[in-house]
Amino acid sequence: MAPSQHVQVNLSPAELSYLRSSLAQSPPIRLDHTKGPKDFRSMRAEYDVLPGANGSARIALDDGLEALVGVKAEVEKSQRSPRVDEQEHRLTVAAGDMDMQDADDDDTKAKGQNAWVEMSVEIPGFRDEDALPVFLASMLTESLLASGGLKDRLYINRRFHWKLYIDILLLSPALSYPLALLSMTTHLALLTSRLPALKSEKDEDPLFDDDWDASVPLYPKSKGKTKGTQAMDRPPVIVLAMAVDQNIIFDPCKEELAVADAVLAVACTDSTSSPSGAQVIAIRTIDPPSHLTPLGVPNAMNSATGGVVPASTADAITQRELLASSDVWTPPRGGMKRALVGQIVKAVVEKGGVAEEVIQALQSIDVG
Amino acid sequence: MNSDRRRINAPSGGTSAPVFARTVKESGYLKSLRPSRTRGPKELRKIFLQTGIVPSASGSAYLEIPTSNSSTKTLIPSQSSLKIICSIQGPKPLPRSAPFSPCLLLTTTVKFAPFATRTRRGYVRDSVERDLGVHLETALRGVIIAERWPKSGVEVVITIIEGDEDGWWGDDVSSTGVVGGGPGAGSGWGLLNVLAGCITVASAAIADAGIDCVDLVCGGVAAVTRNSASRNGQRQGAVQILDPNPSEHRDIAAACAVAYLAGRDEITELWMKGAIGADPEPLIEGATHAAVGNLSVLREVLLEAVEAKFKGDTEQEKEISKSKSSVQDVEMTG
Repeated sequence: MAPSQHVQVNLSPAELSYLRSSLAQSPPIRLDHTKGPKDFRSMRAEYDVLPGANGSARIALDDGLEALVGVKAEVEKSQRSPRVDEQEHRLTVAAGDMDMQDADDDDTKAKGQNAWVEMSVEIPGFRDEDALPVFLASMLTESLLASGGLKDRLYINRRFHWKLYIDILLLSPALSYPLALLSMTTHLALLTSRLPALKSEKDEDPLFDDDWDASVPLYPKSKGKTKGTQAMDRPPVIVLAMAVDQNIIFDPCKEELAVADAVLAVACTDSTSSPSGAQVIAIRTIDPPSHLTPLGVPNAMNSATGGVVPASTADAITQRELLASSDVWTPPRGGMKRALVGQIVKAVVEKGGVAEEVIQALQSIDVG
Repeated sequence: MNSDRRRINAPSGGTSAPVFARTVKESGYLKSLRPSRTRGPKELRKIFLQTGIVPSASGSAYLEIPTSNSSTKTLIPSQSSLKIICSIQGPKPLPRSAPFSPCLLLTTTVKFAPFATRTRRGYVRDSVERDLGVHLETALRGVIIAERWPKSGVEVVITIIEGDEDGWWGDDVSSTGVVGGGPGAGSGWGLLNVLAGCITVASAAIADAGIDCVDLVCGGVAAVTRNSASRNGQRQGAVQILDPNPSEHRDIAAACAVAYLAGRDEITELWMKGAIGADPEPLIEGATHAAVGNLSVLREVLLEAVEAKFKGDTEQEKEISKSKSSVQDVEMTG
């Protein structure tokens, strides 16, 4: 019944309270005390690991979390409705000027469809329809499709398109919240995936160059190649951030998540159009597992430590409410302050912020 | 695995929607049907909300956004609207087999009725519905004071009788001759409206069930649309609107749904997508404004419900006391 059992940690209320107060300090002392609030876990990454896929990547974090992503593309026939074809024929016969223009207009516009990208996330210990894989898949798909650049590149001609299958496998058990890792692995796989070069023209049956050296990258490398100003150069990357009191901590581990006030996933991509920093393309709040932690019993309410057990339930509730400001662990209530959202996003997208750092780090893997 | 084995289902691909002769013959006809926003950019749609409509549930509520103008010109309604029903079971003890839980376990189930949208939904929940369920759970988890009900669970069951579409139906027909190829198809703009509605109606139902909360949570949506004239310029002509109806807008650039606690100025759920740029704050603020608008309705409705309840209670008590005093010597028969 508990959906977030994977992140449930076995810490006592006293331990939770201790961890929280050390994270709330300024500067925060994290569980791994060598790391600052913006430091990520170290990782090993490689790409082109699967010979049968158009692009693939594997990333292993130093805490044992490991993910593998394969990108495969297939040519698929676009579904066309015959009636609309008739409509177009008639329009050309009738030479309705207005509508011819309209049709032309449509041709230059975005031609890609959201259904052309299919993503599946597999996490050991979870079924396909469990909340976590579904949530992760929809967050990843959403950020991937947000820019619109990718799905337009999948368009071949009016009768055919590429269908992109992105299969994400978490090889290790879900030790901590795997969203950021999965997104980084997907980013690397997409960055290095290539599609065969098209030789046929216009609406012919598509024919491809069988020379793999001639293939075109799914995400073009040079910035000049992409048409239009809106085209994004690189796939998005999702950054996980959590808030404890006034502190913002990036890439939290499992134990740190258990004391978070709020958790936010920010998907961003670095844009070619704006000179500074990254662009946000999706934000989602994630339910912090701290809501499910056991609450502490203060000595004053515990008969074993010389306290007095409250006489009635109402009495117990009032005594609990008075405890809110003390150090006894109570699961956080409410959501996050609006200003905090702004602060987190600013730390992610600003020039030299977290997003840029991550994207550049992944880019350098590809180059080096 | 995820397929429905108990019923005889239609082929999964479905059939293409009918194209009416007039849209083909008359060139400008389809265009003339396109709905446009008649409200101001900051004006919300009117909502109807009622609590306590399912007697057997411990709490329930119904939310409806009535269709503003029902054009009789075509069979297909030009604008979609929202009808959501929510019922709450519990808090009730967990089954014996369940492991110990120190707090109230919340389960949210969001289901579209098969006829809720233009494309038919199956009986088994698909990934979109599960995703909505997770969003709703996030929105409610922070609001409920869960530690007061150890070892118990509560189920929030939502059925969407009519849901907002992702775009205007005409776009699906006219664009590039590809089935379902409208710019809105699969973009999920309508889902944000559905989520905001789900949050509001669930909040009303929770209040009706009498579960302790830190504040009344309310959903709201805001969006940024591009003007079609300046489509190439990225931020030019971008207008912020509250409570967007996706079928009225051709080009939505970004949208945001929030679950907002007005009393604490906090957000428990934020779902935002699209080309937001570097600063999401104006959009979030817009969505919270929309949420505050919905909250005023929610407050009124709850107040009315409580008044009606207590009025009924006092009258009942009066009647009971009256009947006690007057008919004291009734002999029990049978």
